[in-house]
Amino acid sequence: MPRLLLIVLLPVLAVLVLGVAPLLTVTTWSFWTWDPATYWIRPEPSLAGYGAILEAGRWTVLADTLGKGLLAALLCLLLAYPLTYAIHFLSGPRLALLLLAAITIPFFTSSLIRAFSWRLVLGRTGPVNAFLQELGLVARPLDWLLFSDFAVMVGLVASYMPFAAFPLLLSLRRVEPSYLAAAQDLGAGFWRIVRTIILPLTLPGAFAGFLFVLVMVIGSSTEVQMLGGAGASIVSVMVNDVMRVANFPLAFAISTVVLVVLLALVLAGNRAFRLARLFEDPSW
Amino acid sequence: MVTGAEGRANRIAIWALALAGLAVIYAPPFYLVAISLNPALQPGLPSLSDLSLTWYARLAHERGLVAALRQSAGVATITAVLATLLSLLAALAYQEMRRARSAWFLAMLLPMFVPGVIQGLALSVIFTRLHLRPSMLTVAAGHLLWAMPFAFIVILTSLGAVRGSFLMAAADLGAGWWRRFRDVILPLIRPGLVSAFLFAFLLSLNEFARAFYLVGRQNTLPIEMFGKMNAGASPTIYALSGAIFLVSMLCVGLVMLRRRGTGSQAG
Repeated sequence: MPRLLLIVLLPVLAVLVLGVAPLLTVTTWSFWTWDPATYWIRPEPSLAGYGAILEAGRWTVLADTLGKGLLAALLCLLLAYPLTYAIHFLSGPRLALLLLAAITIPFFTSSLIRAFSWRLVLGRTGPVNAFLQELGLVARPLDWLLFSDFAVMVGLVASYMPFAAFPLLLSLRRVEPSYLAAAQDLGAGFWRIVRTIILPLTLPGAFAGFLFVLVMVIGSSTEVQMLGGAGASIVSVMVNDVMRVANFPLAFAISTVVLVVLLALVLAGNRAFRLARLFEDPSW
Repeated sequence: MVTGAEGRANRIAIWALALAGLAVIYAPPFYLVAISLNPALQPGLPSLSDLSLTWYARLAHERGLVAALRQSAGVATITAVLATLLSLLAALAYQEMRRARSAWFLAMLLPMFVPGVIQGLALSVIFTRLHLRPSMLTVAAGHLLWAMPFAFIVILTSLGAVRGSFLMAAADLGAGWWRRFRDVILPLIRPGLVSAFLFAFLLSLNEFARAFYLVGRQNTLPIEMFGKMNAGASPTIYALSGAIFLVSMLCVGLVMLRRRGTGSQAG
């Protein structure tokens, strides 16, 4: 099949040259030794970079990143379920298109701008604090709303919720309508239908959405940079901090750990839920 | 559902939660847009009589931002052209594959999940080692694999409009591969190509983490903006953020409306 080879050549080259090769190189370099004389590394095997991950509480940032990812993924699913249900089952074609646009747009708008706008909303003089004071719920502005783990979580959910909504919507579309009609004929109420038909049938979509958000949060940096408090970190921000002092072996070691975790997550998810098949639906 | 099994109370609850989800995404950026129309220096909602485009008019005088915008537009154009071409090839390859399809799809999608900071860092270290000067091209190199998965999915979707029977008919009438591509496939997927180009352009224009390591002396727009956002109050940043957000939104909205027109043809 020479024609297929010809077509495949350029995309494969792009992925190999710009993706696989640089990442493999960095992974290899993570096992080299730091050379203070050249401010670079030399090819002698060393695990110093990996050892440094265990120092200075760095591993807690890794654990904390995972925790943030899991919580954000859960919150995103909780918000995405009603939204996608409303799109698929409760909307006419026009409204459905509008709402579909509403969950598509975030992919292509700046996460930097969206995180920044939360800063204005959650700040001491922002509308949320003003509203709470107006209601008399708080006497003075809440300080923990902004530059805190709370703000970061809000920003993460706002940024990555569409990543949960999309696979969920795709799997909702595959729920056979006759099953629902049959269940209703047999007298099942709404919650029973949700529990026994919709939830089980959309489980692959839910897992895919959960995984997407988890993976995106693990790789995120903007939300913590914009909304996190002093000393707040997430693994990508830690890499930036480490690079500020040009600690290449440590930065490469952290990157390698993250890449291995992400690759394992995506491949495991793909094996278990056939992520690829979920997207191979040409109907959207 | 069509059958209305939810009941009124549940339906209201579902809509309330759905709107809450949308508010989380959209309320802050729209608040930002509203603030940008306030001529006062302190951020706050403007009263209706005070609405003003002062800060937008000021933008043209911000040399740093204008230069960064120009740089970003260049990077985004390069990225979008390459991403569209490569994704078209990748999508055509997908169509011709049988057993390798899922693996190919995954290989094209995986780069999306590589953290921006790590992708940018890896490329920049290698570029430095190879003595490649930072330029629009180095930034575009970092953006290409970020934009490609989205362009790939969009083009793949639009290829759904190309029925096998069209291609068979063309082949029966003696059209070779190139002819079938040019006269049958290309006209049918043109809207998809336009969408893919626009999406890739926007993804590159708004990308921050990868560019952070790959820019040279001239910042891209998001990096310049990041600096301004942390440098304290200058309301022009609200105007620029608001404008970029609205333009991005408008582009995606238009693309989706157009796709609907072609989508119904595809059946």
